[in-house]
Amino acid sequence: AEKEAPKDIVLTGDAKCTSCHDENDSPEALRIGKTKHGAVADKRTPGCTNCHGESEKHVKEAGRGSGPTPPVDVGFTKKNAASSQERNAACLSCHQGSKRIGWQSSTHANQDVSCSSCHKIHDGKDPVRDKADQAEVCYECHKEQRAQVSRPSRHPIPEGKVNCSSCHNVHGDNPKALAKSSVNATCYSCHMEKRGPFVHNHQPVTEDCAICHNPHGTVIENLLKARPPFLCQECHSHTSHPSQSAGLPAGRTGSTTELGTVGRGCLNCHTNIHGSNSTQNSATVNRFRR
Amino acid sequence: ADDEVSQLTKPDSSVSVGLGYWTEDRPQLGIFDGMRESGAYGLLDANIVKRDDATGTWYTFSARNLGLESRDLKAEYLRQGNIGASIEYSKTLRDNPHLFLTGLRGIGTTNLIVSGAGRNALPRNEVELGTTREGTTLGFYKNLLPGLDFNVSFKNEEKDGTRLWGRGGAAEFAVEPIDSTTRQLEAVLNYTGERLQLSGGYNGSWYDTHNTLVDTIRQGDNPTVLNNHFFLSLPLDNEAHQLFLDGGYNFTPSTRGRFKVEYTHATQNERLPTSSIPGLSLAGAPSRLNGEVNTTLVQLGLTSQVTRNFSLGANLRYHDADDDTPVRRFVQANARCNASECVDNTPFSYKTLTGKLEGTYRLPQGYSLTGGYEQREDDRRIPVSNANGAGGRDTQRVVPMRSDVEERTYRLQLRRTLSETLGGSLGYIHSEREGSHFISAAAGPGGAPSDLINPINIADRDRSKWRLAMDWTPLERLSAQFVYENAQDEYGHSQARPFGLRDGSAELYSVDVSYKLNNDWKMSAWYSKDLTKANQRGQRAEIRNRTTGALELRAAEKDADLSDAGESVGLSVVGRATPKLKLGADVHMSLNRSKFDERIIRTAPDPVPGVAAVGPLPDINTRVTTFKLFAEYALRKDSDLRIDLIHERWKTDDWTWQFANGTQFVYTGAGTSAATFTDGTSVVANQRQISNFIGARYIYKFQ
Repeated sequence: AEKEAPKDIVLTGDAKCTSCHDENDSPEALRIGKTKHGAVADKRTPGCTNCHGESEKHVKEAGRGSGPTPPVDVGFTKKNAASSQERNAACLSCHQGSKRIGWQSSTHANQDVSCSSCHKIHDGKDPVRDKADQAEVCYECHKEQRAQVSRPSRHPIPEGKVNCSSCHNVHGDNPKALAKSSVNATCYSCHMEKRGPFVHNHQPVTEDCAICHNPHGTVIENLLKARPPFLCQECHSHTSHPSQSAGLPAGRTGSTTELGTVGRGCLNCHTNIHGSNSTQNSATVNRFRR
Repeated sequence: ADDEVSQLTKPDSSVSVGLGYWTEDRPQLGIFDGMRESGAYGLLDANIVKRDDATGTWYTFSARNLGLESRDLKAEYLRQGNIGASIEYSKTLRDNPHLFLTGLRGIGTTNLIVSGAGRNALPRNEVELGTTREGTTLGFYKNLLPGLDFNVSFKNEEKDGTRLWGRGGAAEFAVEPIDSTTRQLEAVLNYTGERLQLSGGYNGSWYDTHNTLVDTIRQGDNPTVLNNHFFLSLPLDNEAHQLFLDGGYNFTPSTRGRFKVEYTHATQNERLPTSSIPGLSLAGAPSRLNGEVNTTLVQLGLTSQVTRNFSLGANLRYHDADDDTPVRRFVQANARCNASECVDNTPFSYKTLTGKLEGTYRLPQGYSLTGGYEQREDDRRIPVSNANGAGGRDTQRVVPMRSDVEERTYRLQLRRTLSETLGGSLGYIHSEREGSHFISAAAGPGGAPSDLINPINIADRDRSKWRLAMDWTPLERLSAQFVYENAQDEYGHSQARPFGLRDGSAELYSVDVSYKLNNDWKMSAWYSKDLTKANQRGQRAEIRNRTTGALELRAAEKDADLSDAGESVGLSVVGRATPKLKLGADVHMSLNRSKFDERIIRTAPDPVPGVAAVGPLPDINTRVTTFKLFAEYALRKDSDLRIDLIHERWKTDDWTWQFANGTQFVYTGAGTSAATFTDGTSVVANQRQISNFIGARYIYKFQ
């Protein structure tokens, strides 16, 4: 009798692969069925060979003879010789659009990162697309940021309220892989009150929030990179109290010369440091105190 | 077998219901997670995913932390490849970790009364500060034609609460009342063809605040006297509208060009609230800023696999943030308009041109060598038009500026991939930053110099960075990763401009190890150590007694060595003790130490009688330890019982809110003696926190 042709299990045309890699041999592979790629009613969804290549040699020789099985054309493990470009080509053939238009000139692409370095394609839950789990995936390479997020002053990243992709488009080619075209434009997405413009603008605030803040985490309140008065004295060598030495006052004092370190430091008085809209007719109105 | 295949291929859903209990308050570690106070909390999470296979339609509902204030909810309908809609809600808390004992009245409103002196002192109450954000996002997707999709999303966020502030006139405690709405709208058309991809649309964002000005006064001061009020301005309504088009084109399978253009028009034009108060504004000064910032981005790029082994990328980027706000006078003390007598508004504009060229050559045995060059030119338009000091904007600046800054960056990297056991990279980056001449700042009061510094963001700087990364997989069960990073900065200085940062450095060591003991148990461990240093030179200006004019402190120079050192350790073990019992343990410790070594380095001709405040500053050590255990027991095939135990500790000797003798910082306000001091707010900064958590959940799983 004529042998019955194997049937597809999950994807259109997958019988070529699943006749061997079935639920007993390769249950993980079948989990593709849980994903968007497993919705075969969407005619755009790929079959196995769309991503892994026709792999004729693998199909013909697997399990025959005593030698090692030839690999599939495009594999996504360390054992497979496919380059990151070859691996990514499989994904980009469908996913080149939208926020991935600039992928080829992105920092990640230049570092030979492949889509599968971060994404789990055969899994219903892709950790990098989950708000709570995403950062752990990024930490696999970004150790400095993992250490910074452990510091006392940070964004709510471990709580899953802010994640790396809140600020970064890792598929794009903006500077620092930012989601927006500049640091400030990215920060304004959540901190829009800082956008201004103000009547009195503080120059570094208008230029780059990262001059004073490290968004990944610091040991100083409000994500400051350095503690007042040292932070302010990176630009201000002004006479009188702005030139004060760092130190804690012995007790209650109204002397501005002694209050640049304790509490909010210089910001104890220069409280509107991100900009002020006061029109008060005072020569010191532009010093962000009101 | 069909059941087994179905288990493997159908989307999974789960609902988890439980109860948790924290034994102690968590003022520091609970500022975001909605479990700051000790006590019981409901633990409710759900992830429900249903798919109609016949039509490819997804129905999803997810809820995280539903029993807590910090909850997230999302529901989505998606007919894949055709049409979809979603709604999402998220609440984010941010509590100030400190406790304030204050007499301040009116917290949360725009009228604050600060405690006065003596009989005008107000009784103190315990106050906690914090904000909440409640965001709702609506999304819609429609496939219009093959390759052409339309996406629109709208997010509305309400932010309310209170934030630590200052009264500004003196070091007095104040609280910023926050009550604002932000809205963001994005509408995008995406075309994805085989060779051409386009993404274009509109981005709009609106900031709408309900508070624009805070009126503060001290208890006991006559409110009818205008000078007794100290008005604090707040950010005003602003909005931005952006049009963008992003595109890419595959000239050949190995050569791709791309472009991006964006234009953003941002405005701030709300009525300036102080302009409505008689006596507060200069006659004739505008009542609205007419603020306008127009930002243009144009980017062109090309990437190409020139030969089998050589690839090249080039990119040119022009970014122009042009503050077109008209310059108007807001303060004029006299007609001559000398230093510190006139104030105009201060628009700053930035034009940046960046060019980048990078090539990668693939060598034998999986090695590749990358070389790159990048040049960035910043052209600032800063309000310095009246540079002769005769009056106007130039006399208002207290920091020297330079209009042009240029940075050249060279990059070299050797990388090895395509190895089963060993891969990694060694990279070196060197950059040189320099700029045009410095435009002097106005002299400070008494003619003392403000101009002797190289501001950090525009100073000449040489930066060198090394990065070594290695992945080693000696066994199928064992993998290790090692990263070392080193960065060195050298800042320019001269005899005429000696102050500012002199040099800085950053180092990072990190090791990760992952080991799979057997099919049931695996463990991972990591350790990171980082060290950041900076040397900063400054001056301590001469100080004279304001009343007597007597010299209290000779001018001196300061030299500060600042450092932050951090160590973090993570250890995780997860495994199956029996087919039904899964166990896990996770330990995370981090220790940070900051040092502040500042010295007065010039004492001649007279000895320096010491700084007014008590120094030097003690080190700050902060240690956080979290120890987690879980056990998950399969009650049935479709349901688990999970127990979580957490022990967490926070300890710091941070002196930010302390006097030199370790007592709580107390705001002094005005006055020169204990009898005349006002305010009196003290701050309790928790330096130690230990808390334990136990939680039990019932998890039901289904498809």
